[in-house]
Amino acid sequence: MASISTTTNKPPVQKRGTFSKRFNATYFLQDNITGSRGQLIWVIILTILTLGVLVQQLGNAPSRAWIIFGIWAVGVIGTVVGELFTLHIGATRWLKENMFNNVTNVLVTLLLALLLGIVCSGLWRWGVVNATFSPELTHPDVRTFDGASWGVLWGARKLLLTGLLGPEHNSRVIGWTLTILALWLMSFIGTRDSTRETTAGTFIRRVANTGWILSPFISYIFLAGLDYEAPFVDFRTLIVGTAIVTAIMGILWFFKVIQLNPVSTAAWVLAWPLSYLLWRTIAYVSFNAEIFSPIDPDKWGGLLLTVIFAIFVNILSFPIGILLALGRRADVQGIPWWLLWPVAILLTAWGLYTSTFGNCIGTPSFLCENVNLWATSRNGIERVISLWPLLIPLATWSFLRSFNGNFLQAFSVLFIEIIRGVPLITLLFMAIIMAPFFLPEDSQGLSNFWAVIVGYTIFTSSYMAELVRGGLQAIPNGQYEAADALGINTLQKYRFIILPQALRILIPPLAGAVIGTFKSSSLVALVGMIDLVGSTKAIIANSQWLGLRTELYVFMFVLYFLVSSVVSWYSRRLEDQSGLGVR
Amino acid sequence: MTAIMDGPEATKVSDVIVCRDVHKWYGDFEALKGVNLTVEAGEVVVILGPSGSGKSTFIRCMNRLEEHQEGRIIIDGIELTHDVRNISEIRREVGMVFQQFNLFPHLTVMDNITLAPINVRKWSRDRAEELAMKWLTRVGIPEQADKYPGQLSGGQQQRVAIARALTMQPKILLFDEPTSALDPEMISEVLDVMRDLAKAGYTIVAVTHEMGFAREVAQRIIFMDGGQIVEINSPDDFFNNPTHERTKLFLSQILNH
Repeated sequence: MASISTTTNKPPVQKRGTFSKRFNATYFLQDNITGSRGQLIWVIILTILTLGVLVQQLGNAPSRAWIIFGIWAVGVIGTVVGELFTLHIGATRWLKENMFNNVTNVLVTLLLALLLGIVCSGLWRWGVVNATFSPELTHPDVRTFDGASWGVLWGARKLLLTGLLGPEHNSRVIGWTLTILALWLMSFIGTRDSTRETTAGTFIRRVANTGWILSPFISYIFLAGLDYEAPFVDFRTLIVGTAIVTAIMGILWFFKVIQLNPVSTAAWVLAWPLSYLLWRTIAYVSFNAEIFSPIDPDKWGGLLLTVIFAIFVNILSFPIGILLALGRRADVQGIPWWLLWPVAILLTAWGLYTSTFGNCIGTPSFLCENVNLWATSRNGIERVISLWPLLIPLATWSFLRSFNGNFLQAFSVLFIEIIRGVPLITLLFMAIIMAPFFLPEDSQGLSNFWAVIVGYTIFTSSYMAELVRGGLQAIPNGQYEAADALGINTLQKYRFIILPQALRILIPPLAGAVIGTFKSSSLVALVGMIDLVGSTKAIIANSQWLGLRTELYVFMFVLYFLVSSVVSWYSRRLEDQSGLGVR
Repeated sequence: MTAIMDGPEATKVSDVIVCRDVHKWYGDFEALKGVNLTVEAGEVVVILGPSGSGKSTFIRCMNRLEEHQEGRIIIDGIELTHDVRNISEIRREVGMVFQQFNLFPHLTVMDNITLAPINVRKWSRDRAEELAMKWLTRVGIPEQADKYPGQLSGGQQQRVAIARALTMQPKILLFDEPTSALDPEMISEVLDVMRDLAKAGYTIVAVTHEMGFAREVAQRIIFMDGGQIVEINSPDDFFNNPTHERTKLFLSQILNH
């Protein structure tokens, strides 16, 4: 736009929506008003609307309306003068480019300024002029009713910030908050342009990254505390955990997802025992020193709970989402039909024999209810349902047909599609109500907090998976081929080549997902959790603060908005920095 | 049209690429219809043919970027099967240069080259960088080591791709139309490097449309059409006395325009 003032001998090249030093009324009219019939009608309607609001406001609130109109008029005059005589200063150029770049926008600017004046003056009167700020003035008996009673925010700060958590735990909440802030600060410093290339910057960044990866555990220790019960090592947990990790490794190796050498095999096998022993050691030390005594997670509340949800769910669902996305694209050798069909037929026959017709001979008692479904069915529908084992061959057939026996892909696709087809609130209710069905009968059950975390993480990770899949598909096939041709194995290919490029593409949508998770966590209030929304509802219901909903919802709006803005600002920064390699 | 057979005679130790009756289908379309080829160590073979003749598919089967469904491919004594260990072993010994370069845009030239030696060959970074620098010098762009691929010209990018393939110290080099995506004035700088490599004794299989290069450097020229090898000949005979009608037609089309 700076080239406007430089004219040459040639007749001015008129761009749409710009003025020229040689003002041409015909072009101007064509550009702004008479370009098309629709434009003409639009400008007329807008003019009438704006004039109407202006006249109405000049009658209703003359001083405010005159001030707004005056500022607007000065701006327009300044812009026109600057444009016609090439006398632009910074302010008028900004106004020309952002506010007054054509007739429509000149009118819209005035209209919006007037409307904003109406809205803001009401808010101003309510929130500042007539408002009280003392916690003593919030009780319904002494409260002012034409202004805000901001004192409630201070008076109810405990419920807002930490919910029902006892004051004896304040130091731990503060310690945790400081830790998270310190991590954030270190990430920020470590990635600044001036420090990122230095040794110190790299070191700080490494510490921060490690801290973020460990942050769920750090948070858990601070906030949930560690319970210690003898014995120091529970061998069942030790062995079962090791077996599961080893089995996963074996399956991945069998399906040729990973390759193994002695070192990596040892690392896989020892991963569980080592982390388990470390965990027990920390628990033992903290128990004896009485540093981190256990806190019931269901006691957490307020902003604390909201933030915990955001951090836990986002950090947990991101890697799960990546794995699901990779699983959905996995091109592994399927389970062959000659292996699957015999198993399916055997299972079907066994199901018909034991469940449908209630024969328990030869089957362990805990596997057989000894109910003859077929004989006890009372109508045709029940009779059909009693034949449920026939679904097994149907499932086998569709599994082989749709996925060629590719188990990884089938699991990922079904997981993602089923979860994405369910509303979050349904999933949260299911998590709380149905969690006990999936747990052993002798366990104490899952606390509501953990049930919600599980449900919410499942939900978020299926969405993350689809985002990540989009990013993976955006990487050209040549990148995969070049990596393959160099003999790089699958893990290294994703670690060094595909994911770094895909995640960079994914920064904006992932930031959106993180913000979405943060905001949607307010839904947990509906399943009885006292998060920020939940505690707001509790405060409003309190006789001392009865009915102070506007103040609290405004506060909530500001808080959610601030956090979301920080996240999106941070993602833009991340995006700018990560673009370094791509020219 | 019958495919020319190399014959089922026993392969020699010096045969580093042995393809026997290789078939490849894309769905119902048969892209390779029984291809036979044996390449000796140190030999330079150029594959010519009209587009869609299966030459790229064939060369990509040699390092399993495409899977062949029938027949056998034995590279350096190892047969390409579903076994991932065989595949990765072969890929370590076979370097490939692509039409679209396929450099990793988020890594510097040096990191592009050293990624595979460090992670696949398990070399130290110093050793990998030393060799990478040697090859960058040999292809004539040592000063570009710290730049990103996007900052280089097409010809320079392709030379980086060649250096990347060579730093893995492969026994065989596959070129899949390495000059087709380049501006005319950059083609020669890449061909010079390839000529240099051919003289240095590398086993090279190249798909290219550069007839001058084929005539000058190749020891054998393979002409493919419709998923089959139509003619295998020395460059002189291929260009001057082609035996097959299809070859004559092809040559008349490309040489008389």
